[in-house]
Amino acid sequence: METTKRPNYLFVFIALLVFTLVETLVSYVQQAAIKFPTLVVLSIVKVLLVLLYFMHLKFDSKVFTYLFVGGCVLSIPLILVLTVVMPLIQQ
Amino acid sequence: MSEMEGQAPVIQRENTKLAMWVFLGGEVVFFVSLILLIIFTRLTNSGYEEQFRSHLSIPIIALNTFILVTSSYFVVRALEAISFKGDRKALRNNLIMVIVLGLLFLGGQAFEWTSLFGEGVNLSSTYGSPFFTVTGIHGTHVFVGILWAVYLLVGHRRKPFTQDNHLGIENFGLYWHFVDIVWIVLFTVIYLI
Repeated sequence: METTKRPNYLFVFIALLVFTLVETLVSYVQQAAIKFPTLVVLSIVKVLLVLLYFMHLKFDSKVFTYLFVGGCVLSIPLILVLTVVMPLIQQ
Repeated sequence: MSEMEGQAPVIQRENTKLAMWVFLGGEVVFFVSLILLIIFTRLTNSGYEEQFRSHLSIPIIALNTFILVTSSYFVVRALEAISFKGDRKALRNNLIMVIVLGLLFLGGQAFEWTSLFGEGVNLSSTYGSPFFTVTGIHGTHVFVGILWAVYLLVGHRRKPFTQDNHLGIENFGLYWHFVDIVWIVLFTVIYLI
């Protein structure tokens, strides 16, 4: 079924470009306390914009969201194992 | 099941689309492990700034990021063109733009790799090894996406996509956007932080 309500893709696209530009400029900032959180937040926002609007997760079946989030959840043990194992390897 | 108001242009819960999301879920795990490789290499070694990051050209890679993000926008335009307007010509033109931009991205990456090799950063260096592995695998994904887009273009000439039959474009779009997402993360982790 076609609907009249559609995401404003051009707006999302421009937001992605602006955020990328801001990220690039922030990367030259020396203070890690500003640089690190800003870059992480901007990166997460960009990923969410693409996921929600370009990949339609905001409007599509929740099953697709669960599948994607499932991949992220499955990665957590990987992160935990590496976090524990890497310091041991270093010793 | 009735469609709810405000849903995306194409809501066809076909098996192939479900399969694509399952595949992307697996790809998440794969790329997280690769990104962790870079993060842990940085955490367990010193001298990232001097030995590696100083060799990277942030403006060129930022331009490459612009190119990939723009290609994602053209994928959305391609899907919009066929799903809302049934405009086959616009679909074709947008797919051609995706291919061109994808090739430009790979060209930028080839330029970067060549520069790094010239400066002595190679596969055997501490930071070069994970860098070339991860960006190489990502670049391969872009290349596969380009081949997929070409396949869709050729298929579109033989049996055109229509307003009711365009799931192939949507599935390709999901793949391409995912590749874009991976690059957004890599851009931050490798180049900016």
